Amino acid sequence: MKPRLWIAFAFLLLLSQLGAAAEKVVVLTSYPQEVVTQFEAAFEQAYPQYRLEVLWRQSRDAMSYLHQPHSPVDVYWTPAQRNFAVLAKEGMFRKLDIDLTGLPKKIGGFQISDPDGFYVASETAGYGMAYHPGALQQLGLPVPSDWKALASPAYNGHVVLPIPSKVGYAPMLVDTLLQGYGWEQGWSVLSQVAANASLADAGATFISDDVGSGRVAVGATIDFFAVSAIANGKPLRFTYPEKVGYSPAHVAIFHEATHIDGAKAFTSFVLSEQGQKLLFHADIRKLPVRPAVYADKPDGYFDPFAAAQRASYNYDMASGLARQELVGAVFDTLIMRHHDALKTMWVALHSAEQKAPNDPNLQEARRHANWLPITAAQANDATLQQIFISRDGIKRDGSAEKLEQQWDAEVVRNYAQATQLAEAVLGGKP
Amino acid sequence: MKQYILLAALAFNFHASADEAAVTTSDASREAYAQPVSALSEVDRARFFKGRGLVRQIWVIPPSENREIAGLGPLYNRISCIACHAGNGRGFSPATANEPMRSMLVRLSIPGADAHGGPKPHPAYGGQLNENGVPGVPGEGRAEVRYTEQAVTLNGGEQVNLRKPSLTFVDLAYGPFPSDMLTSPRIAPPIFGLGLLEAVPESSILALAEAPKPAGIKGRVNRVWDVVQQITVLGRFGWKANMPNLRQQIVGAFVGDMGVTSPLFPDENCTALQTACLKSPSAGKPELNAEQMDATEFYHLALAAPRQRNTDNAEVQRGVVLFRQAQCAVCHVPELKTGDFAKFPILSQQNIHPYTDLLLHDMGDALADLRPDYLANGREWRTPPLWGIGLAQKIEPRAGFLHDGRARTLLEAVLWHDGEGAVSAQAVKRMPAPDRQALFEFLESL
Repeated sequence: MKPRLWIAFAFLLLLSQLGAAAEKVVVLTSYPQEVVTQFEAAFEQAYPQYRLEVLWRQSRDAMSYLHQPHSPVDVYWTPAQRNFAVLAKEGMFRKLDIDLTGLPKKIGGFQISDPDGFYVASETAGYGMAYHPGALQQLGLPVPSDWKALASPAYNGHVVLPIPSKVGYAPMLVDTLLQGYGWEQGWSVLSQVAANASLADAGATFISDDVGSGRVAVGATIDFFAVSAIANGKPLRFTYPEKVGYSPAHVAIFHEATHIDGAKAFTSFVLSEQGQKLLFHADIRKLPVRPAVYADKPDGYFDPFAAAQRASYNYDMASGLARQELVGAVFDTLIMRHHDALKTMWVALHSAEQKAPNDPNLQEARRHANWLPITAAQANDATLQQIFISRDGIKRDGSAEKLEQQWDAEVVRNYAQATQLAEAVLGGKP
Repeated sequence: MKQYILLAALAFNFHASADEAAVTTSDASREAYAQPVSALSEVDRARFFKGRGLVRQIWVIPPSENREIAGLGPLYNRISCIACHAGNGRGFSPATANEPMRSMLVRLSIPGADAHGGPKPHPAYGGQLNENGVPGVPGEGRAEVRYTEQAVTLNGGEQVNLRKPSLTFVDLAYGPFPSDMLTSPRIAPPIFGLGLLEAVPESSILALAEAPKPAGIKGRVNRVWDVVQQITVLGRFGWKANMPNLRQQIVGAFVGDMGVTSPLFPDENCTALQTACLKSPSAGKPELNAEQMDATEFYHLALAAPRQRNTDNAEVQRGVVLFRQAQCAVCHVPELKTGDFAKFPILSQQNIHPYTDLLLHDMGDALADLRPDYLANGREWRTPPLWGIGLAQKIEPRAGFLHDGRARTLLEAVLWHDGEGAVSAQAVKRMPAPDRQALFEFLESL
């Protein structure tokens, strides 16, 4: 090719690339395709001057990516609230200078948006119980009204519970329960629910698969998996406990964003009435954070702002996020690694309590059954928390494993003693 | 004549047998295309859900800490399988020139054939226009779709507007297209029931090709390159029957549409002239490993086909007769039988109702893309299966019909039939309106 032609070709190439870049808005997310699809189409229709470029990364991978120099990302829009807190603290976000009127920062006692205004809630999801009405009816079990109901021996073998160290949405589920009931009672409820349950890890099936097929009657889960499945025809139902815990998602604009106008347009769109109403779509079913849009909600749609007026509690989000790994490690110790012993123990204990409710040995058995490796105060201890945090690729050092070994030994001893005491009351195994 | 009688008899036989119930689903919800065949073992159930996870996965641009889901790009159309196949269903074409192709792509080639008789890729753009690139790699450009409308008047006076698409290519990052560039827009087809189609013996398809047919209808097989066997074999998947089997179809889409390499296609989708693309990192060699490829294939194999609904409805039953009388059933063959299928024995020896002959037919000038694909010439298209088609717009409200999604309704799709399909289109145009309604009641019941 002649030099002049090469120059003309290169110029055209540059022009075409500049043209495309000027219209782009680069958004990092971990939302599933169903959410991305709806927002992408609606945003580009509302703002035809912009083209959304979606980059997808899970929470931890996103943090590594965002800490690389020259990140191309303009907007972070995802359910990963600890990432937002960390990035805001690191000064990565610019203050949101968009209209936030009509967007409360709290749902009842639940803080959902950054008090300092660097990131704002874009939607939330609630925790509750998915159930299969047919399966419950067949088993003669009532629809559970609260987490405590699932602790009843009647539900033994009919529940599925996610493991917080393995399932992304589960840490908040467990922590809202611990804060809702209090540390000791919360773990006791969790322990008894877990004794009735199979434990779900991050495998390929969803709790809505297990419950929707009737393989399991009830599943503790985040709402949108189940509610979306219901909207799309699955024969299951969803119920919220009295005190609902929430897991908000957020949106923020980076300081280094190169497409500021587009970033603002997208962020404003996500928070707008139009954007918030997209959350009602059958494939999404998240909870809007703009209360006004609930006036147009589909029949039966849960309204967290209305629910918070009926019953609410002050959830300490900062504490919940800070102790996430530590709580996960306690769950692994008390429940996941000793699940068979836990089940045996609670079956014996519940049977013994039914047979001889006033037997003094059973109080001692309960004490062993409810043994905890750490107190509520220790759970909020930053030094202890740090031992279990493995952020940004830093591996846990041996101290966490050492502690877990000590806890394991205590759990084995306590569960065995509780079981022995209960079986003594029963005069043998139940 | 015997064959005509056979085809006619097949057209009436649309009730699900006991066997068929095992490989079809009665689910008519928005999840209808996502149901497994019944009686999956625990091991197969786990494989099915693993495959589902990969089909639903939005892929990550490498490098990434999540190696097992990394590999998007360097060039790509969409970021997940279900971005195009929403709910495992069909895609749609953009409504306006400004709207991007969200579940559609454009195949490219230049005149001639490659070493195996397939389309000859363009030296700079390859075989498909990838609209997007990872950061630092320019996307190849955009295809804009514009329509010209034409009205068709049916017996009884009803007017139907048909829209004929034309493409314009803009923002071409690797130089202008040559004047003889061959282009073919394709919407995403539905992905359920494909295991059953793979289980149909080659001999059955050949017999359908050889059977005499009425009204000038012919039908022939495509012969395509099998990358594993390294031989030319019968083609049965894709809009032009240009893929030999499900596995090659799936991983071909992984690399072609998302830039995710696999054991069958280990190289990134860059041409020799795309230097930034060639320098861009891969997540691994390959990115979709053998186990993931197996799980993804198994998911597709095990997706059940929706069973016909409303079979007791008198209008639906009348529609079946009209479907046959309009010669639709000659190509959209109602019933096929699967053979012995060692890969997934549940699918063996099943009477199925896909409404396809898996053959190529000349569909006339109006639908021609003028782009040969192995033996398929520019006017030929494979008969698309009709099973589940009545649920298409329940699952994706914008689902389009025909290869380029130009038809917004089933009626429009029928009216576009030309060439070997002209006789059916004419019959539908001539039908009294109540008959047409009954015919479409039947199609909606599928």
